[in-house]
Amino acid sequence: MSETIHESRLKKMFSIIGRVAVYCVMGLFAFMTLYPIFWLIMNSFKTTREYQVSQLALPHSPTLRNYVEAWEMGEFGLLFPNSIIYTLGATVGIIFLSLMAGFAFAKLKSRATKPIYNSFIIGILLTTQTLMIPLFLEVNLLGIYNTRLAVLLVYIGAGLPIGIYLSTEYIKAIPNAVVESARIDGAGFFKIFLKIIIPMSVPVATTLAMLNITATWNEFALINILVSKTELKSLPLGIYKFSGSLSTDYGKQFAALTIGMVPMLVFYVIFRKQITKGVAAGAIKG
Amino acid sequence: MAHTNKTHFEERRAYWAMVMPSFALYLLVMAFPIILSVILSVSNYSGGKMFGGEPWGFVGFDAYVRVFTDPWFWNALKNNLYIVLVSVFGQLPLGFIFAYFIYAKIVKAPGFWQGVLYVPNIISVIVVGLLWQTIFSPHGPIGEIVNYFRVANFQAQLESIFNTAGGFSLSDEVLHNILNLAGPAGQSMFSDPVPELRDLLSSYQGQPMSDIYTALSNLFVQKWSPAFLTKPDVAMLPVLFVILWMYTGMYLILFLANMQKIDAQIVESARIDGANEGQVMRFIILPALSGTIVNSAILAISGSLSSFALIFAMTGGGPSRVTEILSIYMYNNAFLGRPNFPLANAISLIMVLISVTLIVLTKAVEKRYGGKEE
Repeated sequence: MSETIHESRLKKMFSIIGRVAVYCVMGLFAFMTLYPIFWLIMNSFKTTREYQVSQLALPHSPTLRNYVEAWEMGEFGLLFPNSIIYTLGATVGIIFLSLMAGFAFAKLKSRATKPIYNSFIIGILLTTQTLMIPLFLEVNLLGIYNTRLAVLLVYIGAGLPIGIYLSTEYIKAIPNAVVESARIDGAGFFKIFLKIIIPMSVPVATTLAMLNITATWNEFALINILVSKTELKSLPLGIYKFSGSLSTDYGKQFAALTIGMVPMLVFYVIFRKQITKGVAAGAIKG
Repeated sequence: MAHTNKTHFEERRAYWAMVMPSFALYLLVMAFPIILSVILSVSNYSGGKMFGGEPWGFVGFDAYVRVFTDPWFWNALKNNLYIVLVSVFGQLPLGFIFAYFIYAKIVKAPGFWQGVLYVPNIISVIVVGLLWQTIFSPHGPIGEIVNYFRVANFQAQLESIFNTAGGFSLSDEVLHNILNLAGPAGQSMFSDPVPELRDLLSSYQGQPMSDIYTALSNLFVQKWSPAFLTKPDVAMLPVLFVILWMYTGMYLILFLANMQKIDAQIVESARIDGANEGQVMRFIILPALSGTIVNSAILAISGSLSSFALIFAMTGGGPSRVTEILSIYMYNNAFLGRPNFPLANAISLIMVLISVTLIVLTKAVEKRYGGKEE
């Protein structure tokens, strides 16, 4: 009798120790995530000299000068609108085209569906970055190097496979009767798509928006080979400029990095639930 | 009859009108570049206009021979493999364990952990790369932290030396202990250590002990400077650490979402039947997630092959090329110095083939061992 009480007490103790250990490990990870971000933002308010004296202390007399200078040097005034154009353009394009093709694959009969749909599925697994050299040459060949059009076409093309996969699976679940009864009422397929399918596809469109807004806003590898003119560059390209000769001007570098980080952090804080859901859905591959 | 033909026609027209824009873009961005890289990799195309410029043509498989005999290709491939290993044996298990801790309610505040651990994924990899480059650089905070502890440790030992001696003392024993603590580097500052240190310390007589500690630690404690990213033999470690740091949260989200799909009643009734945590894990959770685990491994592999920007920003492939991965190796062959497009396209194609092979392999493994979802 006393032995079992002893045992259960031991078990309880172990479970408390285990719980503390779990909190410690996860706490360490959370700390390693949050502290560098805090550290970066904090140091962006120091002059480079103050940073060199102490990297860990809070800023003595916080200054915004780094931001003013980084904004000018990085020409962020030009890059910010570009990033917004690319992100919105690619996201809207991917959602619209994916839903449209998804509707055709899911509800319209054709023997072409199987091969074309499967080629998109293969496309999920091929990553566009591995093709950046031939893409660069192709874009030159077509004469659209250094154009917004090239960036948008490549971004949309790269985002379509997963977009079409998720849209098709989603639209398949919409009852056929919905489409059929609209057909009987005399509606054309495009009208059905615009008036019925799009309004019913808001959840999957939201998922796609979350996936593509974050991916496009942060994209670097592809746009790096698609444009070289400052007027066409996006934010990540501008931030990368601070890695070369400017990398020892810490104050400006930190301000530039913060400028690059904060918009997505704010977006994340607002849409955390939707983004998380999108990640879980978007990762179901093959 | 005529009516159905008309609708058929209409349906087919609508079908192609809806599918073609996407399919054309897909061909433009995926299929055509692959064909182009097949052609260029066996050519002697050296840049410039593809048609109407310098003539170029088929030369054979020279580029592939060059790639496979280039030690830097194998170096880059090895680094890609390291990334795959860190993903599959680091990010995945950690993400899984953390997800389980949240799922099994071993930790409170599920939203907090998910929210925080996913944050690195939301930040641009360029920002992440440059941020960690600075953190690991000699001007970063790691040196300051390490040096702080070095000084604190040194001063604590000094304190214990003086405490054993019963306060401030210039006895030979105390001086010897201090010199021992200072080590050979510290001793080499004096030509005749014991008397010179005695002279030095006697000038501090009557001052607060803390001043003496500070003076001695300034004199003796070696400033340590982290230079992880400039030492070729260790430069890959910080890179792998950042990759682990960055993506563990994504797998956490993935695994947790799929754990939460498991019917709670099954777990509940297993517990009532006396199953312990380990048994629940082994017989319910792991089988239910086998598909997700395989998918995550595929994701990790294709992610590793496509990773570019993080290392591009963090090390640029340096120092002396040791942190190059395949994509950077390819990029440098195309854009650094004299462009070698046949070579770069050969690398591109090799990467596509590796990724297809790995995916097929993983799928085969899934068919053989997975499929316990039902």
